[in-house]
Amino acid sequence: MPEKLEVQQGTLALMILKTLEGLGPLHGYGIARRIEEVSKFRLSLNYGTLYPALLKLEQEGFIKAEWRQSENNRRAKYYGLTAAGRKQLARETREWNQTADLIAAFLAPRREAP
Amino acid sequence: MSILSSFRAALRRVQGTLDTGAAADDDMRAELDAHLEMATAENIRRGMTPDEARRRALLDSGGLTVASEAVRDQRGLPWLESIVADVKYASRTLRHAPAFTAIVIITLGLGIGANTAIFSVVRGVLLKGLPHRDADRLVYLRQSTDKPDGDNIAFSVPEVHDLRSGAPALGTLAEYSPMTYTLEGENSVRVNVGLVTGNFFETMGLSPILGRMTRPSDDGPGVPPVMVLTEQFWRQHFGADPNVVGTMVKLDGQSVPIIGVVQAAPWFPDRVDGFLNMVVSPHHLSAQMIQGRTHRMTQIVARLTPGATLHDARAQVSSVYTRMQRDHHDAYDSTSHYRVSVVPFKEALGERARFTLWLLMAAAAFVLIISAANVVNLTLMRGVRREAELVVRAALGAGVGRLRRLLLVENLMLTVMGAILGLALAFGGVKLLVGLAARYSPRAGEIGVDYVVLGFALGLSLLLALLLSFVAFVPREGTLASIVNAGFRRMAGSLSRQRVQRVLVVAQVAVSVVLLAGAGLLMRTMVELSDVSTGLQSEQMLTFSLTLMKFVAPGGTTDNMSFFRSILAADVHVKQQYNQMEQEIRALPGVLDVGLGSQAPLRASDQWLIKFEGKSTAVGEALPSADMRSADPSYFRASGIPLLQGREFNDTDRAGSGRVVIVNRTFVEQYFPNESPLGKRIALTGEVLQFTPLSGDWRTIVGVVGNTQDGGMDQPHRAAMFFPRSQELSFGGSFVIRANGDPSLLEPAVTRIVHSIAPTGAIQNLMTVAQIKDQSIAPRRLNAELIASLGALAVIIATVGIAGVLAFSVSTRTQEIGIRMSLGADRARVERMILWEGGVLLGIGLVLGVAGAYFGTLVLRGLLFGVAPHDPATFIAVALGMAAIGLSACWIPALRAARVDPAVAMRGG
Repeated sequence: MPEKLEVQQGTLALMILKTLEGLGPLHGYGIARRIEEVSKFRLSLNYGTLYPALLKLEQEGFIKAEWRQSENNRRAKYYGLTAAGRKQLARETREWNQTADLIAAFLAPRREAP
Repeated sequence: MSILSSFRAALRRVQGTLDTGAAADDDMRAELDAHLEMATAENIRRGMTPDEARRRALLDSGGLTVASEAVRDQRGLPWLESIVADVKYASRTLRHAPAFTAIVIITLGLGIGANTAIFSVVRGVLLKGLPHRDADRLVYLRQSTDKPDGDNIAFSVPEVHDLRSGAPALGTLAEYSPMTYTLEGENSVRVNVGLVTGNFFETMGLSPILGRMTRPSDDGPGVPPVMVLTEQFWRQHFGADPNVVGTMVKLDGQSVPIIGVVQAAPWFPDRVDGFLNMVVSPHHLSAQMIQGRTHRMTQIVARLTPGATLHDARAQVSSVYTRMQRDHHDAYDSTSHYRVSVVPFKEALGERARFTLWLLMAAAAFVLIISAANVVNLTLMRGVRREAELVVRAALGAGVGRLRRLLLVENLMLTVMGAILGLALAFGGVKLLVGLAARYSPRAGEIGVDYVVLGFALGLSLLLALLLSFVAFVPREGTLASIVNAGFRRMAGSLSRQRVQRVLVVAQVAVSVVLLAGAGLLMRTMVELSDVSTGLQSEQMLTFSLTLMKFVAPGGTTDNMSFFRSILAADVHVKQQYNQMEQEIRALPGVLDVGLGSQAPLRASDQWLIKFEGKSTAVGEALPSADMRSADPSYFRASGIPLLQGREFNDTDRAGSGRVVIVNRTFVEQYFPNESPLGKRIALTGEVLQFTPLSGDWRTIVGVVGNTQDGGMDQPHRAAMFFPRSQELSFGGSFVIRANGDPSLLEPAVTRIVHSIAPTGAIQNLMTVAQIKDQSIAPRRLNAELIASLGALAVIIATVGIAGVLAFSVSTRTQEIGIRMSLGADRARVERMILWEGGVLLGIGLVLGVAGAYFGTLVLRGLLFGVAPHDPATFIAVALGMAAIGLSACWIPALRAARVDPAVAMRGG
């Protein structure tokens, strides 16, 4: 089993939004599973990490929750992206890419000065 | 994250805090359960046994309780939640101590209310900014002398010119000359107007709300007269008519167009209804006005030149004034101390109100100190009872900070409720105070409870809450065990805290004594004033004044002589009208007698310079002067002014017959101390005779009448001379109507008669003599009543304080008292012991209070009449009164101490 990582502050929101964009409305279990899969099980999400993050996104108006029947005929709370959430996702993706580029540039092995 | 989404999130969280959260908790629980079930099902699918699957899922979840807590924290705002908890807790504890809560709120409410109400007046009248543009650049110039009525003698036109050319720091200098005209119409009214130079409004920094203001092109002769209305008069008389500009009004018969309405502003030195350019008054453009250096009718307002300071202006004015006095000896007699002061306009507006208001503010602050002391005492006592609770809380893990915050929240709730009660009281009180302020300040209209006043009340309550939380006991970590071990009861009587309480009681008594002494002196003043005799034998009289003479020359002449001639011509007709009115009023049922004079008795009149036949005044010495009044033959009889020597006027004193004069007793005492005045001759003198139609001929004294309290019950008697109306021009007139019943019942009939004879006549000051008298002492009375109510408030609060502290002391000493009684002390002895304990505090407070009052009452000197600031009778009465009230407050706890049952007390009950 690969080494588990703690999810980094601030990145979880982006992962949740991206997951919902890709898969449409999903319950908390589904979101957690999906994030774990995409991370190749390097990440594992506690409820205590996932649900406050979902609530925060909901409070900010980026996702909307509703109770529905699940595929297995079970009642579950489904989260879906809102229009504001889509915009936020685009913005955060852009910012994240910029930051990642920047950090990558910093960490790249330096060439010796000629 | 955008601002909008942060805001939305914050709002949701506040909402989440305030919700009970039961529904949200259920929802969360269901969601977590669903998650767990799905995870379990997945594990089963992978081949685990159901038990193993569930165990595994639970392990992966990271703990459901932890998750719930995390979600709850996200749902609300944890810090807000704990404050809400504090508030809930505080309101619960306060509800459980209703007596304490009520007393504290009422005490604070009274203290905060009195302070807020008076502060709102101080703010409106003294502190608030003026509506004038750059009002802090405006200055008012005042010329004063030591002569009677010499407070503010205004300036003459030559003086204005000297100042204008010699004091460049004054920049623009505007002239303002007060006048009174009859505004004729269906309901004629007398209007107070200012005759102003064209630069007046520019200088004052005031703008029109309608039309235009006067401007320099409105100056000088040969221009049409124009009128600007004040905002207040426009509302009151013209019903705020937006089309008023262009309307013609008749002032003393002359048609004048209204050209504008000026924005609302306080007017000084007098309230005015409108402004006119100088051309409306021929006199103001006459050579006498423009050249007479002692003809002082002009007020000056100036706007400082940019860059110039008040100091510059004062220095320049002072050097110009010194030069003026050197160049014109005759206009400034050296014994009278002529002087000029340059006062910031805002200060000038507030000067009459300032002292009274700060005095009231100080008295109110005293009340607040006493009520705060009381509340501190109550809190201390309650704190002792709560110590056990606080210690337990601390022992269970509440930090000191948490306990302090708890107390602060509780005290804040108390003081804020006190502030709310106080504001309610202040709203009522302000209405009463506006009436008081209107007598002292032109800015009374600006008084109100606005956001600054609200802030003031809130600030007070915050400060008090901090103070209360600071004095309260909070157990310190590390001392808990010793407190608990000692047993809670033992610490109740902690000496240092009882000492604080005692000091506070002493302070309360002392401050109350100071307030009471002030109130006592002011009340004595009122008693003395009501004992002052008006000088009239009866006061059952109705009076009113009526000016029939018109002071605007027809055709806008600027020639004083032709103006006089027109007045002389009008005088015959005016006299006929007055006589006819007098006859018809005399015929009314219920009228005993009617007289006509220039002023009603008890009203003030102006002083004029006089000379005596065969006596001369040394150069440089102030010339003798006396109040000039006029009277017809029945005036003294109708007014009830006693004739002391000689005769009254009669029908033989006609125009053309020998000029006669009647003087009052003070006149004789002042100018004929050792001889009979009858037959002596006096005359008017001075430059003023050149431009008034009054004669400087010798007049023979034919009678002496008693003194009357002209110009106020608190005023000293002044020398007065009466000229017969038949021998003078009828400038104005005041009727005195003696009735055999309630004089005010005659008002409608009298008004009807006046208007039937002079349809445009404006009746002024229709008042009974009792009302005039009342009016003259009303401001003092209101003042005295306010201070006295604050004093009474202080005593009530202080009494509650003494009784409370003593009762508390008794309750902590129950065991001790029980021991004493079982050892043989009888009830009387216990009673004496407690009384003595209270008596000592009371005694110290009284001594300090009397000492404080000895100095404190000195500031009242100017407000007292007929009583010295250290009046022993008042001081003794106040001390005895306070002692009696204080001792009776001690009696209740003393009685309770005497009823202690030793058996119960010793068992610790």
